[in-house]
Amino acid sequence: MTKKFWRQGEPYVWATGLSLSLILMLTFLLVYVVMANGIGVFWPNRIALATLKDNSFVLGEIIQENIKPATGQKRLQFKIGNRDLYDLDFKWFNAEDIAAITYPPRAYLLERQEYGNFYGFLNQLELNGLARPDLNDKLEPLEAALKSIEPLQDEITALNSRIAEINQRIETIQRKQARLRHQGKAEDRQTGPLAARDQELQADFTKVVAELNRKKQELLQFEAVFADANGLIKRIPLVEIVRAIQPNTMNIFAKTGYYIERLRELFFAEPRESNTEGGLFPAIFGTIMLIFLMSVLSFPLGVIGGIYLREYAKDGILVRMVRIAVNNLAGIPSIVYGIFGLGFFVYGIGGQIDQLFFAERLPAPTFGTGGILWASLTLGLLTVPVVIVATEEALGAIPPGIREGSQALAATRFQTLTRLLLPMASPGILTGFILAMARAAGEVAPLMITGVVKLAPALPIDSSFPFLHLNRKFMHLGFHIYDIGFQSPNVEAAKPMVYVTTLLLILIVLIMTSTAIYLRNKMRARYSVIDV
Amino acid sequence: MQKMDKRFIKKVRLYDRIATRVISIGGLMIIASVIAILLLIIKVTLPLFQPASAEIIHRVVLPASQPLPLAVGVGDYQEIGFTLDSQGLFTFYTLADGKTLSKIFAVPDKKQPLISVSINKNNIYTLLWNDHSITSHSVDYRLEFDRNGKRTVVPKLTLTHEFPALAYPAVPRRVLVRQGEEQRLTVVALLADNSLWVSHRTITTDLFDNETTESFAFKIDENLPGLITAMTINEQGTALFAGTDAGSLIRWDLSKNESYVRTDNVIAVAGNQAVTALTMVFGDISIAVGDESGGLATWSRVWVGEENRVQKLRKIHSLKSHQAAISAIAPSRRSKSLVSLAANGDLHLDHMTSENHLLALRHNLKIFGIAGRDNSLIGLDPTNKLLVWNIDNPHPEISLKTLFGKVWYESYDQPEYAWQSSSGSDDFEAKFSIIPLLFGTIKGTLYAMIFAIPLAIFGAVYTSQFTTAAFKRGIKPAIEIMASVPSVVIGFLIALWLAPIIERTILGVLLSMIITPLSFLLAMLAIKPFYKTPNLKNRCAGYEFLLLIPFIVAGVSLAMAVAPIVEHYLFAGDFKQWLYDDLGMRYDQRNCIIIAFGLGIAVIPIIFSITEDAITNIPPSLTAASLALGASRWQTIWRVVLPSASPGIFAAVMIAFGRAVGETMIVLMATGNTPILDWSIFNGMRTLSANIAVEIPEAPFGGTLYRVLFLCATMLFALTFILNTGAEIVRERLRKKYGRY
Repeated sequence: MTKKFWRQGEPYVWATGLSLSLILMLTFLLVYVVMANGIGVFWPNRIALATLKDNSFVLGEIIQENIKPATGQKRLQFKIGNRDLYDLDFKWFNAEDIAAITYPPRAYLLERQEYGNFYGFLNQLELNGLARPDLNDKLEPLEAALKSIEPLQDEITALNSRIAEINQRIETIQRKQARLRHQGKAEDRQTGPLAARDQELQADFTKVVAELNRKKQELLQFEAVFADANGLIKRIPLVEIVRAIQPNTMNIFAKTGYYIERLRELFFAEPRESNTEGGLFPAIFGTIMLIFLMSVLSFPLGVIGGIYLREYAKDGILVRMVRIAVNNLAGIPSIVYGIFGLGFFVYGIGGQIDQLFFAERLPAPTFGTGGILWASLTLGLLTVPVVIVATEEALGAIPPGIREGSQALAATRFQTLTRLLLPMASPGILTGFILAMARAAGEVAPLMITGVVKLAPALPIDSSFPFLHLNRKFMHLGFHIYDIGFQSPNVEAAKPMVYVTTLLLILIVLIMTSTAIYLRNKMRARYSVIDV
Repeated sequence: MQKMDKRFIKKVRLYDRIATRVISIGGLMIIASVIAILLLIIKVTLPLFQPASAEIIHRVVLPASQPLPLAVGVGDYQEIGFTLDSQGLFTFYTLADGKTLSKIFAVPDKKQPLISVSINKNNIYTLLWNDHSITSHSVDYRLEFDRNGKRTVVPKLTLTHEFPALAYPAVPRRVLVRQGEEQRLTVVALLADNSLWVSHRTITTDLFDNETTESFAFKIDENLPGLITAMTINEQGTALFAGTDAGSLIRWDLSKNESYVRTDNVIAVAGNQAVTALTMVFGDISIAVGDESGGLATWSRVWVGEENRVQKLRKIHSLKSHQAAISAIAPSRRSKSLVSLAANGDLHLDHMTSENHLLALRHNLKIFGIAGRDNSLIGLDPTNKLLVWNIDNPHPEISLKTLFGKVWYESYDQPEYAWQSSSGSDDFEAKFSIIPLLFGTIKGTLYAMIFAIPLAIFGAVYTSQFTTAAFKRGIKPAIEIMASVPSVVIGFLIALWLAPIIERTILGVLLSMIITPLSFLLAMLAIKPFYKTPNLKNRCAGYEFLLLIPFIVAGVSLAMAVAPIVEHYLFAGDFKQWLYDDLGMRYDQRNCIIIAFGLGIAVIPIIFSITEDAITNIPPSLTAASLALGASRWQTIWRVVLPSASPGIFAAVMIAFGRAVGETMIVLMATGNTPILDWSIFNGMRTLSANIAVEIPEAPFGGTLYRVLFLCATMLFALTFILNTGAEIVRERLRKKYGRY
């Protein structure tokens, strides 16, 4: 019997099972790591105050503890923040050096505009130059103080948008002047008024900037005086504080509220601190717009291609070649698409457009440089085969009897197609669309060449004419991961944000893919019934 | 029956025809776009391999009365040329109409003939006058715009250095003047008694800005092997070269002010032939040697010897020979190109490093000059006519040999495959060898495939044949989910999460590759007894992969636990150090193990899905027959199913190979991107795809790097095209074969 066990090759069967378990474990590990590291990022941790044996103190979040491999000692990693004071955000301490760990309720966690988090204790508030001692260590006075500067901050925001508006106008006028110069009409009747308007705006601009600076100075008068764990005093202007919490006093509801607030920030706010803090709004917007533009190109072409292959082309050498071409398109590395996009769209078509329509701005390129239009066209080309294959499969799954029936009733091929085949195939085609969008959402390499940037100054859509700026550079979630994970100066501090971005991207892609799989399975079930 | 409206039918038919047209055109456009992508990429690449071309753009007949020029030159704008005659008179011509623009005496009050002229940097003319005084002049061209914006080019002659007649011990024949960086002016004169006279003038500035000028002079009067026939010196005035009529090349070190050291004395030309021309190649590292028989070679100093490594002059590159003795060589100021003129009037343009012979102009020229930007050549032919060529030579350094062969670059000790596209210095020569990139691509792909192929194929076999239908419905979407994970996510995870973990536990990882199979064997032994009861056996069927998970976890955990002990006893406590000391392998954090994991995760779903499809498509009658004949379930798989499905599996592997070859983000993030040639699994590499992503932001449009990167893309395209087309043909055969059942 035992011999038979080996001779019949049962262990080999088990070995194939081993391969499958390894693959599945790998997949789950991958998803788990992203989830585990990404979900908890915004949950407020308790702030620990460690008293070291040399009577100094450490304040911060305990990130992890492990055994140091070299010595076998237990050690703890603290996120101590206060980058402006200590230079480092994270620090390891040996467990044996720590005398005690407490969680003081007074401890503050400040999210700041610059230098990352601050951990410390509030000493007093100075509002508009007047010192107000902080009496009860509660969050309320600080919160009230933060609220009190809000009107001033609103004024500054208004001034800032006014400056942007003036800038826009000046730019428009200067562009007009450049065009006149380029057309050789240096002495046109428009030049005089234009120059006058320009001067007027410039004067306006200086005035507003002066006003802005005054307000900013005024705002800096509102300060909070904090002390770190060892009593080192740090004055922080209130305007620098994005959010202040005392996590050690927060209950589960407060923490949930904070979590939701952070999520809101993630989805709707601009990034701060070279993308390692703040929100992802421009990246999410860029990704969605990219996918949308890509779809406009890729879907019609792909569907037409699929219909041609399945319904129109006569089986022969040509169809075989088209099939091979489609499969090749699907197999070409995305970076090759990227370089094609650069050579053909950006420098080829874009360069031509610049020479024809934007000659006055040359040598500064308008369309002759990477932009969202070129990136989405490149991605469109890249996803066409996905749509073709899906369309072809969906049409192929429709039993031939339906076509024959339709044609027997004297419908033309086109009528059969639009009235019967396409509606029936629509779930399958939709699956293809979703898969194509998922692919486009995750692709980064071709974008890096055709117009993605780490920080785009403006969204591709805004309120200034012509509203849709297809030549603008854009941000993208996938590139965001690459950029802050690999190009940022402080990778360790950037990691939470990378995990959050990764989680977001992977969720988007997984939801799309799962929907596609679900749709396809449903469709298969439907046609297998008809087929029988 | 009601008759249908004729117009309606017409309309429907028209729509149908239009639709047929549009859809067919759409389908054909797909083929067209594949071809267009390929053609465009190739089109950008092609100029790399185009030979240089020269075209005569101007001819100027010199007045017969003028004495024979000693030198000719042409400006960058190709509008102005000049001659320098033996009286020290610069005559500038407007090339378009051949008219004389201006006549300027180098030194207006010097009415005496010149002994010789030497040219440096293609625009500095050092004149040795009959009274042994020396003047240096630079010729520049200035752009001037008049009120209407009309552009005119104005030549400008500047006196850069002037030396009164020195007390030479013998009559000077030729002189060289160089201004070094450290305020030292060096004059070298070749004297009639076959000796060299060197004089330095240094200017030192003390704390109080007082300048002191010191002069040094000495004679190099050695027993030289033959008469000096050519000499040159580097820009800094620290290395002097001389060639003799016996074919010797001698180098002196002049870096000290008071003395000289002879560092090299080699036979540069065999057969007792004379060295007839010497010049420094741009960058001042190599020296070009032209000889009496027309041979042209470049020499430079390389480190030789095993123990006492010393620098010696060695012949590095041999360029295309002339038919007659070489009379002059001029270096380009932009690249490592050389222009050489032979006694028979032939002019050659060669590139040193690539040894490319770029151009040969046979116009019986007497003398020639190059424009500073390398874009034009000027020459004087025997009929006293100036000929001006426009040179189109955008990529002199590229040839198949430099892209795919070993090239001996300057300051390298031997020919190597090197990729280095940029550097800080101006005279840096970019090194474009594709080989390290191809190597890196193949290395990364191979390691990944070794990891992925067995896992994916066996996993697919298990899923399609052994597991239950319910599991199958769950596993296939899971694999598809794996396939949809964006590569930037995989790259980020393996580079920032996995790589540090593996670096800490490298020995544990290696051990678990041994211990996990052992633990699998253990599992087999543990399970075997249960097989005696058929009931249990059947109950296991379909769940094997779940039962094995604890054994895998146990195996890996055991390996991790044992690793520190093993490391302590076998590897002196530090495996990585041991690796470096005993095997000479460096451990990089971002290495091939990481890449194998990352690319593996990317390609496993591809192989898995296609293999699974191929196996599922095997007609069930085959397996049923095999099982009915008494074969076990494994025997059926191994002998019947896998052979039948093998073309499909082969196609799966090919497609996966194509994907791994072109994968960019994973490789970009998880390798160090160092272009090295090393099979070690513990270090990284640079692949073609990552190379494109890394370099393209720095590549100016239309430049050599830009085109070389397009060449990389072409190669990637070609590679994946071959793999995919092959796979598709195999799959089509398979489809036909089993379509019959």
